Amino acid sequence: MRRELTSNPSSALEQLLENSRVWRGKTQVVTGHANGLASGYAELDRHLPGGGWPRHALTEILTGQHGVGELQLLMPALAHLSAEKPFAADPDTGSGSSVEEPGWIAWVAPPFQPYAPALTEWGINLSRVLIVRPKDDTETLWAAEQALSSGTCAAVLLWPEKLHDQDSRRLQLAAEKGRSWAVAFRPRTARHEPSAAALRIEMRADAEGTHLDIFKSRGARPVTLHSIFSG
Amino acid sequence: MRRARNTRSLRAAAPTPLQTAGQASLPLADVAPRGDLPATELASTAARRLWFCIHLPQLSLEAFAAHDAALAVLEERQGVHRVLLVNAKAAAAGVMPGQSSSAALALLPELKLELRDRLNEQQVLEALANWLEQFSSFISIKGHDLLLLEIAGSLRLFDGLQNLRRQIATGLEKKGFTAALAIAPTPLGACWLARAGQRVCIREPGNLAARLRGLPLVCLAWPPAIVEALTGMGIASIGDCLRLPREGFARRFGAARLLQLDRALGRMPDPQRSWRATEQFCVEHELPEEQTDRKLLLAVCAGLLQVLETFLLSRQLGTQRLEFSFFHLRAAATTSPLGCVEADRSAERWLDLLTIRIEGLHFKEPVIAIRLEAGATQPLQTASGHLPFNGRGRCVGHYSMTQLAERLTARIGGHSVLGISTVAEHRPQYACTSRNLLANKVNDALSFVRRGFKRPLWMLPEPALLPAEQGCPVHLGRLRLLAGPERLETGWWDEHGIARDYYTAINSRGMRLWVFRNRNVKANWYLHGFFA
Repeated sequence: MRRELTSNPSSALEQLLENSRVWRGKTQVVTGHANGLASGYAELDRHLPGGGWPRHALTEILTGQHGVGELQLLMPALAHLSAEKPFAADPDTGSGSSVEEPGWIAWVAPPFQPYAPALTEWGINLSRVLIVRPKDDTETLWAAEQALSSGTCAAVLLWPEKLHDQDSRRLQLAAEKGRSWAVAFRPRTARHEPSAAALRIEMRADAEGTHLDIFKSRGARPVTLHSIFSG
Repeated sequence: MRRARNTRSLRAAAPTPLQTAGQASLPLADVAPRGDLPATELASTAARRLWFCIHLPQLSLEAFAAHDAALAVLEERQGVHRVLLVNAKAAAAGVMPGQSSSAALALLPELKLELRDRLNEQQVLEALANWLEQFSSFISIKGHDLLLLEIAGSLRLFDGLQNLRRQIATGLEKKGFTAALAIAPTPLGACWLARAGQRVCIREPGNLAARLRGLPLVCLAWPPAIVEALTGMGIASIGDCLRLPREGFARRFGAARLLQLDRALGRMPDPQRSWRATEQFCVEHELPEEQTDRKLLLAVCAGLLQVLETFLLSRQLGTQRLEFSFFHLRAAATTSPLGCVEADRSAERWLDLLTIRIEGLHFKEPVIAIRLEAGATQPLQTASGHLPFNGRGRCVGHYSMTQLAERLTARIGGHSVLGISTVAEHRPQYACTSRNLLANKVNDALSFVRRGFKRPLWMLPEPALLPAEQGCPVHLGRLRLLAGPERLETGWWDEHGIARDYYTAINSRGMRLWVFRNRNVKANWYLHGFFA
């Protein structure tokens, strides 16, 4: 980095601008440095930093009720994860490439039974699905943290009853440590609570379709998307 | 000398049934010049083996836990309890074997008396045999106080006889046993030498006879009547026995005795029965006092797990299930089963799981004893590890899926950590099943997918009855049917048959629901899932 800085100032500037943490005011465009996890929805990918879901971080999805497409939103990415060799597409990992098995997807405290035939239809590898039903919130967070930091789960979905600021920080750290994607589903009322999540999305649905309100996105601007999928 | 020659001629006239062609020329007494002996035969049958015998003369006493107080072990003889063995403290007070229990108590009123416990002795002997398995692949328990090891095969591994002998001797001493050790090329020879208390090491079969000859008859452990008869004949040692004519000896004392003598000298093969440890593992530890401190309990459990690891290691086995039982004085035992995805024997890994588990355990009472029982064992395949320098080592702090599942199971419980799979079934509620992650094998071949039918990602465990408004189902607002019906009419062969029309519906809040209407009973609407 330093060598390039001294040798070629213009490329250094480009590199600097490519860094999503540099705020460029209204002209901000999401750069093509595609280290994100493609969501499978082109419009969403365009507005996410890195062109997709943040890989090793916590994502929060806020919904008012079940059945508004909150799982559909993740399914293409999860299908990709459960088939791919984890970390193989990740340019900056050397050591992780020794893991040759596809990653596991952990469901911690799901509100209902994830339905296997539907998951298969979405292309999820069922032999890589782990469902944990803890007794209380403490266990939910413990299990999620264990799963995230274990390094074997490509994604961990959790439905905590409550997620405090420090809990979200712990999950965020565990996700970084285990190089895993954490997705916490929370009620819409949690919008005004602080959170360490890298990406926070509120989902709203009405008769016309589902709308996404990306109100926090590390390295990108908040945006509202309308009807990204239908039917 | 003369007598021996007589023997020879006699035997030639009337061979005993015991004699085989191979040793027909051997006299009972080993008096023929060495050159006459078929040395090659001896070498081939005996020299390959070397037997290490451990005699535990004080086992009856030492089988009881070590006491500081004076202790005497009693045995009932003809209705009278007589002292069999005493420890040093009791002996110092003048208590001697053979005294009656009342006489012993008169000498030392605080003397602790224990009745001989043969079952316990046998268990102690088996535990010792278990421990000795690290030194030899062949262990045999002879009688009630002898252990026999074949050590010719172990000499190289343990860097010579001296070293091996020292290791066994110090090990026994540490365990608090008084032992007489003898090494000889024949099993019986080693036993007799050990019983005679002779600290000998005979490696050459040729040297054995000379040593055996001097042994008194007592160490043969023959029935008292025979020993008495022999003593009455003026025969005091094995050497004297060997000088007797074979057939006469066999007739008077039984062919079995003659066979024993032959086997001890290595003239006849002496097959041994190998002792095999039980494959079921169960150990108990009694705590010295009632205990509630989890850290201390955990330390005891760690010790038990170490014993388990040694047990499994010596058999190249692993186990998937363990059960800890914590016993209380006035309440039923608290049990805590532990499961592992792959068979394992590492004490460290089990302890890790137990540490997670023990936090959630609720002890009604203080613990007085802990038992560790292993489930079914299975041969363990050990995987070869990666060398650290070729860059393929695992990331530090990361562990495998199996370990993760074990950790989760340990804290949350096996019924709450599950996988799922599909079932070839048209009824939606049976098309999805949970499977145990800790089960041995995942059968993915059974997975079955019916493509082309839209199924919801969330399923309710039981269909929920929906209220209806003018024939229209309601769930957080009136539902609008988007797609359907998909008619499912199946399962008539059992009592859970269905006849339903499934629809995809949407309400005013944009929730997509999977609802159905029963066709044959009442036309009620039910909610069965969410298209999340």
